[in-house]
Amino acid sequence: MKNPYVPAPVKLVRHVVETDDNLIHSFTFQFLKEEDEKAFVYRPGQFAEVCVFGKGESPFGMASSPTEPGILKFSVARVGVVTSALHEMPEGSILGVRGPLGNSYPLEEFKGKNLVIIGGGFAFTTLRSLTTYILHPDNRGDFGELTVIYGARNPGLLLYKDELAGWEKRSDINLICTIDAPADGWQKKVGFVPAVTKEVAPSSADAYAVVCGPPVMIRFTIPVLEELGFPPERIILSLENRMKCGIGMCGRCNVGNKFVCKDGPVFSKAQLNKLPPEY
Amino acid sequence: MLLLNKDQITSWLNKLIPAYQVFAPVKEGDYFCFQQIRSGEQAVLNYTNSRIPPKEILFPRSEKLFCYRCETGGVQLTEQVDESKKVVVGVRPCDAKSFLLLDKVFNGDQYVDPYYLTRRNNTVLVGLGCNQPAATCFCTSLSGGPFSAEGLDLLFVDIGDQYLVEVVTERGKELLSGMELPVAGQEAQEAARAVKESAVCSTLVDLGGLKYRLDVNFDDPIWALLAEKCLGCAACTYTCPTCHCFDIVDEAAGKEGCRIRNWDACMFPLFTLHGSGHNPRPTGKERFRQRIMHKFKYFVDNYGTIACVGCGRCILSCPVNLDIRQVIEQISQAGGDQQ
Amino acid sequence: MRELTGAIQETAERLLRDKEVELVVGFAAGSLPLRNTPCFIRRPHEAQNLVWGYGCENNLAVFLRRRPEKLAVVAKGCDSRSIVELIKENQINREKLVIIGVPCRGMIDRRKVNRLLAGKELLEAEVNDGQVRLKGRDFQETVLLEQLLHDSCLTCPHPNPVLYDILLGEPVPAKGADSRSKAGEVDWEAKAPAEKRAYLFAELSRCIRCYACRQACPMCFCEECFADCSVPEWLSRSSLNVQDNVFFQAVRVIHLAGRCVDCGACDRACPMGINLHVLTSKMTKDVQEVFGYTAGVSLEEKPPLAAPISLT
Repeated sequence: MKNPYVPAPVKLVRHVVETDDNLIHSFTFQFLKEEDEKAFVYRPGQFAEVCVFGKGESPFGMASSPTEPGILKFSVARVGVVTSALHEMPEGSILGVRGPLGNSYPLEEFKGKNLVIIGGGFAFTTLRSLTTYILHPDNRGDFGELTVIYGARNPGLLLYKDELAGWEKRSDINLICTIDAPADGWQKKVGFVPAVTKEVAPSSADAYAVVCGPPVMIRFTIPVLEELGFPPERIILSLENRMKCGIGMCGRCNVGNKFVCKDGPVFSKAQLNKLPPEY
Repeated sequence: MLLLNKDQITSWLNKLIPAYQVFAPVKEGDYFCFQQIRSGEQAVLNYTNSRIPPKEILFPRSEKLFCYRCETGGVQLTEQVDESKKVVVGVRPCDAKSFLLLDKVFNGDQYVDPYYLTRRNNTVLVGLGCNQPAATCFCTSLSGGPFSAEGLDLLFVDIGDQYLVEVVTERGKELLSGMELPVAGQEAQEAARAVKESAVCSTLVDLGGLKYRLDVNFDDPIWALLAEKCLGCAACTYTCPTCHCFDIVDEAAGKEGCRIRNWDACMFPLFTLHGSGHNPRPTGKERFRQRIMHKFKYFVDNYGTIACVGCGRCILSCPVNLDIRQVIEQISQAGGDQQ
Repeated sequence: MRELTGAIQETAERLLRDKEVELVVGFAAGSLPLRNTPCFIRRPHEAQNLVWGYGCENNLAVFLRRRPEKLAVVAKGCDSRSIVELIKENQINREKLVIIGVPCRGMIDRRKVNRLLAGKELLEAEVNDGQVRLKGRDFQETVLLEQLLHDSCLTCPHPNPVLYDILLGEPVPAKGADSRSKAGEVDWEAKAPAEKRAYLFAELSRCIRCYACRQACPMCFCEECFADCSVPEWLSRSSLNVQDNVFFQAVRVIHLAGRCVDCGACDRACPMGINLHVLTSKMTKDVQEVFGYTAGVSLEEKPPLAAPISLT
């Protein structure tokens, strides 16, 4: 009987401050045991419970992509007991990871389709995973046009700034970064994500939209997408209810009869339309 | 069917105690609870039901999942799966049924909970039929019954000085090995039949229209009214044989600690509070609705059966007498006006 | 009781009909013998659901904090005292509350009934002239009401509402200090420290951390209870940790010092039958002895542990 509660030991190999406000740090882990690494087969959109021994565990979506073997990367905001402890961990620390948990972005459905990835603030983590996955030479041919719209309050709060710079130079991805208000030295778009999405107006023809961000951003982005012709089946969202067990048993993350941890966290808008709005 | 004299119970239990952890109803304060007994005499079988259901034997209020010791460059983990063999004596049929419901949660298609399931596989359930169901019992409304053997390994029927023993499974039969119990004769079987016939659940709860209502009444104003007197404690959920929500926390000192699972309840605001401060179930109304929906709709959607066995514990333990039978009735009736 | 029920119904009906209040909080018939249940009445004709009885055991002040609407409440002595303290703590706006005071003869402790019946199930009960007739499937017994009242009621110094807008029925005589012996209470003071500790540990070994005590208490309204606090985590979440169960109750009771009216609502709410009254009665007695303060009897008198506020 495999014990789904026992974490695999991992080593923190890289700990960086991701945003200028010091709220988000990124953590890169390596498995201590080869068999654990082999067993951890994941897809973009899945999450794992990261544990700080002595403090507890919390669920985070993988920011790394399966195309980056040997490591797991998470970007974590400091909000509670576990995340505060995590932010204090020096490189070389031993932590635990259990997973992968949950479903993933529907990569099979995405195949051959154009993709519009829309992210806001620090919810860009699994979107980085997805984008990185698609951009990998082995996969890029499986997908159509890739548009990424990513917004943050100010330039300092954008995650993965170096990578964004790299993506900007590529021709196989159309990256649009935006910030809420003008800032010194910012040459790119200014405006909220929903407004920028409307302005960019990505075509809904043969396309899926994947949206992750703060609730208010999602609420105003969805009507824009609907206006652009995206049907609810092709608007993909990832929910963030409070979770503990990650395996559909502890009872707290359900939205109607679905468990965000086991049946989600990725749902289409069409699926969510059938569920009560308890998220 | 076999016969066991009541005065043999103690010696039978004493025979089991060296080989099994034996749990039986024991009086604690004003109420009964299931406790591990050291001697057969401790078991009290002329009881109505325990305040806390026997689910706590397989799914304890609090249990260690594993313990750890952090070392330089690594961590030593010790899983704490309880593999001891157990016998629970005096289980009421409603509670036996609750284990079948808990199995659906903890023994899922995708994931298996090794803590519950290992205990479950190593536990033999000895049932005790209910000669006199309490006024708060409504098991028959949930396809159970005072003498239902579903989920049990043995079922005892009290026929006076003796128990008529129905052997339900091989595991149950093994428990009786060496006892050389006589086969129940015509007279004993007749007595058992009479006992069963006179055991009537006086309370009937009509669940016929409930699911249809719950499928459509999420936004019904009735939830605010139903939840109004609810205090938001966990007396109902912690005394419920089918409630299974839990929390996972670490308790540690220095380099050593344990990951612990504790019962938790959908009635508490912290249960669903996000790190951001957002709460998808912000008030008592949403939390009360969740409890009812979970038992009578979501569980049905996911597992095809209601997550209530009609034991009546929540009725007896609610500090404001918020009676689930009335809640069901009110929800069902609220639909009547609109149809 | 019947007259009081009628008077409560009439008063509630009138208040609702005249639109003096939007809501009346009172008691309705319960689903168990000797049990009444809190109810919320918004339409005049529903006032007929209101009743008064010996099972009106909840402290209704718990439902009155920070309500937006103008409302009335049916209040016995202890409820009214909690209301007084909640007004002082700015949890209740006196202007928006109509207190329907009801003198209280005490509430019946169903645990005492169960002890008396020793396992037999109570199906029906009737209270008449200080006698309680208990009926079950194959028994009928008559017991003195006094024998079945809650300990907190037997020693209640304020059975009559101390603050009210409307008073229904005749005031009842207050219980004297000598009634304490009648209550058959655990004699806390006589215990040696080790015995006190042993007693609390034995009682709280049954605690399941359902927090019914806290939720039933009108004065337990912290936005975040210390028991739920995670930074710092003051106590273990495990109810098998009896030490921390005791710690939880000890801190809870101390936090209620000068605010608790010893109504017994926490004790009654406990599904495990843990004797919490032993703690609240000791604490209220100490507050009386040390500060000369009785909670809930005066709107003017300042609570002894309130921080002095300088307005200059």
